[in-house]
Amino acid sequence: MDYKYIEQLLERYWNCETSVEEEQILRSFFHQKEIPAHLLRYKSLFVYQDAEKEVKLGDDFDRRILAEIERPVVKAKRLTLHSRFMPLFKAAAVMALLFTIGGVVKHSMGSGKADVVYVYDQFEDRTNDPQVAYEADSVKAPMKVTVKSQIEEK
Amino acid sequence: MRKISFRNDILPLKDKLFRLALRITFDRAEAEDIVQDTMIRVWNKRDEWEELDSIEAYCLTVARNLAIDRSQKSEAQNLSLTPETQEMPDALTPDRKFEQSEQLKIVHKLISELPEKQRTIIQLRDIEGKSYKEIADVLQITEEQVKINLFRARQRIKMKYNEIESYGL
Repeated sequence: MDYKYIEQLLERYWNCETSVEEEQILRSFFHQKEIPAHLLRYKSLFVYQDAEKEVKLGDDFDRRILAEIERPVVKAKRLTLHSRFMPLFKAAAVMALLFTIGGVVKHSMGSGKADVVYVYDQFEDRTNDPQVAYEADSVKAPMKVTVKSQIEEK
Repeated sequence: MRKISFRNDILPLKDKLFRLALRITFDRAEAEDIVQDTMIRVWNKRDEWEELDSIEAYCLTVARNLAIDRSQKSEAQNLSLTPETQEMPDALTPDRKFEQSEQLKIVHKLISELPEKQRTIIQLRDIEGKSYKEIADVLQITEEQVKINLFRARQRIKMKYNEIESYGL
């Protein structure tokens, strides 16, 4: 096999006259298994050039750098007025729903409790009755006791 | 001009930046730190992205400057590069699996012994496959200077190869 072309390329490589593509040809040439003895000594140089391309950062680097960088993005750009008030809207919607349900429940219960309300009204009405003033009252009872005892002491 | 997105245009450069930083600092942890710093700096300059010719060249420039800064700071702790220390078994070589091959270790040592500028140019040209113009953009020098430095680097590698070949190791 004729290695004139490769030798020529190599010579031009040392003189920095090769193009990027020609240097790639050299790298691929030295990657193959069968290389003539007089060129073999340069094999490691070109294999090294290829191998060095595989040096890479760890996988978690992206995550770390994005964590470092995207924090300000979220704060500065993504937050619109709409999304800012979203929790409030949600809270308002939940409240509205609760009031609606409450209203419906109260309404349906209210019609069933008509009698009770009537009785309650009676009690209310009795406050206007002068007779109530003479009746025993749970709140006033202790007062009465103390007043009585004071009078008895005298 | 196309809109530049951090996730799609800048984050994928991380490995290139890492390799460049590693070539300059010889230290994986340090290089990783530099890439992170570079990303954050580039991110903070996001208003200027549209005005740049090439975001990749810009990122590489930032990474290189950071790497040089850091290696200069730690330079004081290093031994000076005298002929004796150059012959020392290199503790510089990072532990990487492909370098188990003795041959590749030698190449790595050869390139590591080059001055920073030549090393960076070799990295960008022979490993990342960049054109002279792109390299000139990254290093902010002329294409002519890139060629001269590359020429010196390659001649030195060739010379070392011939030395190894004729005297053995």
